[in-house]
Amino acid sequence: MTFAPPHVPLLASVEAFRPVFMIVMGAFLLLTVWRMTRGTSGWAARCLMGGALLLALGYSVLLPLYQAGVLLPISLVGRIPGDPSVALGWHIVKVVSMNGGWLLFGLGLALHAGIFETEKSPAPVEAPNPSVIHGPVA
Amino acid sequence: MDLLLDVFVKNGFLMDAIGVLGLGLLGLAAVRLSQRYRSWGGSLLVSGSLLLLLGRLLVLLSPHFVTPELKMAMGGTVSEILSIAPMALLTFGLAGVVWGLWGHEQWLRAER
Repeated sequence: MTFAPPHVPLLASVEAFRPVFMIVMGAFLLLTVWRMTRGTSGWAARCLMGGALLLALGYSVLLPLYQAGVLLPISLVGRIPGDPSVALGWHIVKVVSMNGGWLLFGLGLALHAGIFETEKSPAPVEAPNPSVIHGPVA
Repeated sequence: MDLLLDVFVKNGFLMDAIGVLGLGLLGLAAVRLSQRYRSWGGSLLVSGSLLLLLGRLLVLLSPHFVTPELKMAMGGTVSEILSIAPMALLTFGLAGVVWGLWGHEQWLRAER
């Protein structure tokens, strides 16, 4: 991790701005999903809300903490003094919340958009024409 | 403890696959939303989820095929771009997904 030189204002560097961006995005995602699913029920709303909660936890809490260096990434465990089991626990929380959050969120939006529903084709179903006689398959 | 270590650290393939699957589902659902229901937020959601999927795949796959020899062959600029690209893709993808979701929510509100 590179540190900005002291004369650069803190918010002007990309490294410093990215966690702020992720915190805002996570909170806004949660707010938008809450507004979308307010007053509705069913599995689509539940999946969307669960996924958004997990993603908000991941994006607004865990990833900024990792970037700030409060939580140790699992790849540095041997090199920096620290409790490896704590690092492992936070790693598991991060992996579950990010990946499971995207899965739940995608599943909820898929249910909302109805991609698992088959629907009747608007074209009428025609019976096969009996006058056409198929020859034997060579 | 050993099982946890196995599943989450040594071969995180399962969890990574779950995340990529979710992103794919998100993209499919967004395509459906923008195509059938003519929701303008859906198109933004599609682009955002595609960017996210691309960035995630780059993050997951680049340790497997970017070797020092390949870096030398590509030259400094290209390998620098390749190393920055996943972060930029993930950032813009997140922004696209959130903005698209907001747009879709506005569209839902206008439909009701």
